Amino acid sequence: MTLFLEQIINGLVLGGIYALIAVGYTMVYGVIQLINFAHGEIFMFGAYFAFLCLVVLKFPLWLAVLASILLCALMGVVIDLIAYRPLRNAPRLSALITAIGISLILQNMARMIWGAEPRRDLANAKSDFLSQTVIIPGGAQLSYLDLSIIILAILLMVGLNRLISLTRIGKAMRACAQDKMAASLMGIDTNRIIGATFAIGSALGAVAGIMVGMRETIEPTMGYYKGVAAFAAAVLGGIGNITGAMLGGVVLGIAEVLGAGYISSGYRVAISYILMILVIVFRPAGLLGRASAKRS
Amino acid sequence: MISISSILSTRLGLILLLLCLVPLATAYLDQGDYLLRICSTAYLYMLLALGLNVVTGFTGLLDLGYVGFYLIGGYTAGLLMARLGWSYWVALPVAAIHGGIWGLLRGAPTLRLTGDYFAIVTFGFSELLFRIVKNEEWLIGGPNGFVNDIPAPTLFGHELWQYWQQYYHILILLILTLLVVHRLHNSRIGRAWKAISQDEEAAQTMGINLHEYKSLAFAISAAIGAIGGAFFAQFQVNISAGVFEFWESILILCMIVLGGIGTLKGALIGAAILGSLGEVLRIVLSGVRLPADSRYLIFGVILVLMMRFRPAGILHSTQKYP
Amino acid sequence: MKQRILIETDPHQVLYRLGTGHICSALRSSLVLLLIFSAAFLPTAQEAEAAKTIKVAVAGPFTGSVAAFGEMIKKGAQLRAKEINGNGGINGKELELIFEDDTGKDKEASLVATRIASNKKILAVVGHFNSSCSLAGKPIYKRSRIVELSPGSTNVNVCKGSDYTFRNLYRDDFQGSFSAKYIKGVLTDVKTVAVFFDNDDYGRGLRDSFKQSAEKIGLAIVADEAYDRDATDYKAQLTKIKFANPDLIFIAGLYSQAGLILSQARESGITAQFFGADGVDSPKLLEIAGEAANGIYITTPFIFGLEGNEEAQRVATAFEQEFGKAPDTWAALTYDAVGMIVEAIEKKGESRKAIRDHLGSLTSPEKGYQGITGLTYFDENGDCLKPAYVKQVVKGKFVAAEVQFLD
Repeated sequence: MTLFLEQIINGLVLGGIYALIAVGYTMVYGVIQLINFAHGEIFMFGAYFAFLCLVVLKFPLWLAVLASILLCALMGVVIDLIAYRPLRNAPRLSALITAIGISLILQNMARMIWGAEPRRDLANAKSDFLSQTVIIPGGAQLSYLDLSIIILAILLMVGLNRLISLTRIGKAMRACAQDKMAASLMGIDTNRIIGATFAIGSALGAVAGIMVGMRETIEPTMGYYKGVAAFAAAVLGGIGNITGAMLGGVVLGIAEVLGAGYISSGYRVAISYILMILVIVFRPAGLLGRASAKRS
Repeated sequence: MISISSILSTRLGLILLLLCLVPLATAYLDQGDYLLRICSTAYLYMLLALGLNVVTGFTGLLDLGYVGFYLIGGYTAGLLMARLGWSYWVALPVAAIHGGIWGLLRGAPTLRLTGDYFAIVTFGFSELLFRIVKNEEWLIGGPNGFVNDIPAPTLFGHELWQYWQQYYHILILLILTLLVVHRLHNSRIGRAWKAISQDEEAAQTMGINLHEYKSLAFAISAAIGAIGGAFFAQFQVNISAGVFEFWESILILCMIVLGGIGTLKGALIGAAILGSLGEVLRIVLSGVRLPADSRYLIFGVILVLMMRFRPAGILHSTQKYP
Repeated sequence: MKQRILIETDPHQVLYRLGTGHICSALRSSLVLLLIFSAAFLPTAQEAEAAKTIKVAVAGPFTGSVAAFGEMIKKGAQLRAKEINGNGGINGKELELIFEDDTGKDKEASLVATRIASNKKILAVVGHFNSSCSLAGKPIYKRSRIVELSPGSTNVNVCKGSDYTFRNLYRDDFQGSFSAKYIKGVLTDVKTVAVFFDNDDYGRGLRDSFKQSAEKIGLAIVADEAYDRDATDYKAQLTKIKFANPDLIFIAGLYSQAGLILSQARESGITAQFFGADGVDSPKLLEIAGEAANGIYITTPFIFGLEGNEEAQRVATAFEQEFGKAPDTWAALTYDAVGMIVEAIEKKGESRKAIRDHLGSLTSPEKGYQGITGLTYFDENGDCLKPAYVKQVVKGKFVAAEVQFLD
């Protein structure tokens, strides 16, 4: 029982991370119908920026984290500006290929600058406080880091929901997602809103990157592996649906961990793909998506 | 009457002759084999680009998982030849048919979905295959999907492993594929595909059975990919899961985008450039002490620039989209 | 009205009807491009110039996640080449090492192997390092009849089936059973063992042999988990292992992942003893795992600083002078491997066949090659019998274990 509980917690932590990344994918898809392949790389840069600020610029940890989030948000906006915005009216294929191109550029830039070997600098930098473990009812043991990840993920998700549903800018985002033309007719500067979407998605991705950097390691391919799983989560929950992305993230995280723990450790990652395909084949709208996902 | 000399007097004949003479020329160089290898690899990519072009170029459906069929072909042929001792001449068509079947199966559930979903499914499908091959040792018989010692085809008792023999081998495969694809392009089928790529509903209204034509495209595209895979398996002597990563699909996509989506010429040129550019860059980059993998960075830049400035392909000066 | 059927006989017309116009221009364009790129490879003038050097390839993971191994291999080879060329070269000609990066992946290794094999000027290959890479290269080198001498691959199948593949270190069946016996014989508190292995040729092979031996001598295996080199979150498997409560965890993998595993394991509260094999033997392990590495035992084919080996000491000093850091096991093995190839060229001749024949003739201790890593001679497969040593990490450094288990 305790083993199961600990595995569930592992799954929740992973799920929280996936949710944070998945939200970025789904928000961008919602407003401009683009699968932003580069998002995984932004997540990766979140970890690397934090590492850079920490080790090279010798910032204190909190400042490095903050700087990384801001830098990634900026990065997201800049990528949209120079790569996606000129293609707003182009066929979807062009934008998609551009996204793939950006992803290639970013991943290999990181590899060239920092090398392919994994780095533990973020993990080593977290204070001993975070490394301590606590025993919760049920006998399971989890570290404060894991606990903070779960809590932080929940807080951010709730915050995002509030933002989308209660604020003006959230309303504008929803309007853009529904119909860009009508939204601009209503006086909404769609380009700015799209930029804001990228900024928020990237910031959340950066947070996830820092979490993963602290919990596991930093390496150039982390964006690809975690990104694909998170994308599967977004699809699982219904691409375009933010709550769906959160739900999909959690479900996928738990499924992956339980699958690895109880079925076969070799298949951890395959589970995301299997789920993704099953969802698309049997319920293309995803768990929470709109019912009509047929030909548009 | 058609005689050799009259064929040679045409442009096509001349080009073919030149291509056939390349191995003779390279026999005198120390790195001649290496050159032949690069050419063979370029021809292989040209073949794959033609295959991807059928679905993505002709029919307008973005296939992000083309490497999946490359994988199926490679493993079908590789396992049949290395483990069961089958002859290449039997394994090749079997691999092609196997690939075609999976092309149909993969496409079937997506027939009712939009292009985005198709792209996602293709991506997931190829990644899933990759994972299965990597982990299912009982199926493949080696960790990471490693199949070793795949023999080259034998003709009249000689094993055709030498680099010049492989060169002609892939050249013949390429030309055959080119003929087939070209004929399809200029036929009712090709026109139906083009109509589908432009507007599916209008095409349906005109009486084109979407499911049939799409499925045909899926099957043919997959079969070509599988043929490429089968050739690769015996060319490289061993295959492993790592060869069939997602990025390979992207590379082939890059090739047809670079040359101009939807055109035969574009697919061939894009593949010729990127297929050989890979090696050239690798040498240049290691000379400048950068990791060889960073050639993908250059590919990324090419993709972004192409989509921004020459979306119709490198040959077209217009900025309009095809 | 019945249509007359015309049979076209003019070849121009036939080909036109076949639609070859497009094909034509397409092929023409691609031909032009190919020729342009091929032209980049016609440094025939250069080739004539370079005929004065003897080329040997060194294939290894110079970039990628196990680049630390590659770095040591490169430097070990470079040191040897420098010494040889300083002493007049081989038969008066300079030894030129050509480094080819396989990034530690079998896919890249295949490409590297075809590249090397198709360059007739390269006489032999020192490499590869990773077992999967050596296995990938094996049939390609065999086809082109060029020797592959590995200073780092331990999987049992590397040398089987090819007359052209050799190695100068032990095999995993030996290493696996040695580890099991060492644990049983020296670490007597250990009763239960968990195995955590890398899902590739090396990890699997090592785990198989370890498990077999462990079961034979009475060590209980309570957990047997695989990990993917690409995944960096091991918590799920580690939690499972934790609950199986082993006294010792045997890591059959490479240093980058092992380092992460050690840290994550300690963080999740695992207090078991760790044991690793040659794949973990790199100073980078200490960097990655930090304090979590303390106490781990490692089996390795060679240790610097053992008594009686002055030649190794001399090389270590020269290495430090040249490169500013201490050499490790792999630098030493590569140093010897290059030496063996050079000796083959000197004794038998400057051709691929000569090298193969010479190495193939080292079949007994009397004929063996005496290098800093010991005496190397081969059996009919190309494998060699050499002892295994044990290291331990104590206070952040590698030291020779107190008890060595030399038969």
